[in-house]
Amino acid sequence: MGKLLWILMSLAWAAGAYAVDGAEILQKVDRNLAPASYELYRKLINIEPNGAKKEYVLYTVKKGKEMVAGVFLSPASEKGRSTLRLGENMWLYIPNVGKPVRITSLQSVIGGVFNNADIMQLDYSDEYDVVGLEELDKEYVLDLKAKTRTVAYDRLKMWVDRERVVPTRIECKTEADMLIKTLYFKDIQDFGGGFVRPAVIETDSPLYKGYKSVMIFAKLKLREFPDEVFTLTYMPHIESLRQ
Amino acid sequence: MPISPGTPSSRSLLSRRGLALLAGVLALGLFTAALAARAEEYSFEPSETEKKPYRFGGYAEMRPILFDLDRGAALYKARFYDRRVSDPLSQQSFTLQLDAGFEWNAWKAFARIQNLLDHTYDGWSEDTKPYEAYLAAKPSPSLAVTAGKFTAKWGKGYAWNPVAFVDRPKDPDDPELNLEGFYMAGFDFIKSMDGPLRTVSFSPLLLPVDHGLNRDFGESGHINVAAKVYVLLYDTDIDVMVLKGDSRPDRFGFDFSRNIATNLEIHGESAWIDDVRLKKVNAAGAVSESEIDAWSGLVGLRYLSRIDTTYILEYYRNGTGYSGSEAREFFTFVDRAYDAYVTAGNAAPIRKAANLTQGAYGRSNPLRDYLYFRVSQKEPFDILYFTPAVTTILNLDDRSFSLSPELLYTRITNLELRLKGVLLHGGRGSEYGEKPTDGRLELRLRYSF
Repeated sequence: MGKLLWILMSLAWAAGAYAVDGAEILQKVDRNLAPASYELYRKLINIEPNGAKKEYVLYTVKKGKEMVAGVFLSPASEKGRSTLRLGENMWLYIPNVGKPVRITSLQSVIGGVFNNADIMQLDYSDEYDVVGLEELDKEYVLDLKAKTRTVAYDRLKMWVDRERVVPTRIECKTEADMLIKTLYFKDIQDFGGGFVRPAVIETDSPLYKGYKSVMIFAKLKLREFPDEVFTLTYMPHIESLRQ
Repeated sequence: MPISPGTPSSRSLLSRRGLALLAGVLALGLFTAALAARAEEYSFEPSETEKKPYRFGGYAEMRPILFDLDRGAALYKARFYDRRVSDPLSQQSFTLQLDAGFEWNAWKAFARIQNLLDHTYDGWSEDTKPYEAYLAAKPSPSLAVTAGKFTAKWGKGYAWNPVAFVDRPKDPDDPELNLEGFYMAGFDFIKSMDGPLRTVSFSPLLLPVDHGLNRDFGESGHINVAAKVYVLLYDTDIDVMVLKGDSRPDRFGFDFSRNIATNLEIHGESAWIDDVRLKKVNAAGAVSESEIDAWSGLVGLRYLSRIDTTYILEYYRNGTGYSGSEAREFFTFVDRAYDAYVTAGNAAPIRKAANLTQGAYGRSNPLRDYLYFRVSQKEPFDILYFTPAVTTILNLDDRSFSLSPELLYTRITNLELRLKGVLLHGGRGSEYGEKPTDGRLELRLRYSF
């Protein structure tokens, strides 16, 4: 009986050792998308059903698990608006209005399908637990659940390319499993520094029928910043970080 | 309602040329923005991310307004006692704001000039002034030194900021308008750390009132010292601020702001002012002055619903405001002064009343207790870039109020269209009942470049 128990325990350990670990995949996804601390430029485009569009260029810096700051470079009406995220806290600084005001993750500083959580995104593994994993021929499918109620989307369903370990599609859902939006990761590009990742994220939403938003990435690179950059007092100066 | 003095014809000609230039900028902006909005493909060119050492920008704005006058109101009588103007009364305002900046290593120079052109019942008038003009140095991420004309932007309130000791007062009817700064020198020192206390920053300022600098701040011949300490403690923004000097009474205060849920923010401000002098007038026109220690405060919240409706609610206690009965005394005096002018041709009392409306009685909100409530709906019916809103400011002392519906549309890049109505309601003797108008309708076209 004792031998049988040992054999069963050994088999269970071996199965666990070789099983695919969803949390590990999610961490790889994060590191393949960007280093923990970086700077990058993004263009955000809102496209209406008739093809009319509106574009924004945003410079973003991130440090560690929970510090993200950004500043809009264009269009002229938005230039100088800066955003700051420290964990669950988010602020928006509008030069004309003056002081930074607190904003929420579900709001959108630019309108359209992307909200503040999409624009000031943290690592997925810092905000979500893997609660399900399915293995397909070319993809993993991860079911993610928000670690806290303050995260913008309660559940994510993420399709991950098995070869590159980067997302190809993410469905963002409410706790009641209602689809809020879908993100499509496209156009794999080499950003240098070992980062080969999708350069374009398109999104659509059943809440905005016919509308589409696009996020294009450029000049993603590893860069370290002092903590003081991620403070309210520094918000009017974020653009000075650009080189 | 901005009212301007009469102007000579040469200035009128200049103003019309400025008007033509503004209209041209607006029309060109509309055309190019509409073309850009229709382009089919999207791309991200390297030139869009290149940093330039200089920047130019600004906006051109056109704002036609139609006022519905209240000829029986005390403040109408004080303003128009010696003339008759058409009702409704139209006004056209044109603004050109030019921003220029230059960055060189750790140095930055910035200037913002605003040119305002008004056409009122009194003809054309023009005003050009630097809103900001400063030199800043940033030797490290922890330190920024600034000198020149700039705004400090203290406080957490949306409609009012009783702790904004070194800023000009906001217009609660349009709180997002940029403000003219004061000439100051100061620095920001920032320190970040781990733990519940995440950030500390210290921002002292020197504000001189002398040699023509900051003449509208207070008594001349003094250098005033102000300082603010900010901390982010347990996810709560907290500021403590002080102003000491002889140009204005000393004051100190604090504010806070915190998200208590992802979609709910609360904030507050508290300010104490020592020995502030308050001028009052009774119904007979006798002016008295008293010295009080005043406390002003504000509490508010901002809530975002599941369907993207934003609610802003604020209560404001104006410690230097008048009580309802004190305001009624003033309005009674104005009525009597006007009657004396009409029946006996005696203009002295009504002139005195008109002068008083330029001071404390003429402030945006001269009484003590106010409630501000704004509801805005982002993109209803899936109409992108469209935000309708309704705002009310309620005077809790006399129950009079303003109600302002507005429609904001920003679909065309850099072009903002806003249609806004303001309805004022209140009985005789109440704040909004005695304003010179019963309301107004305005359209604002702003093109940023």
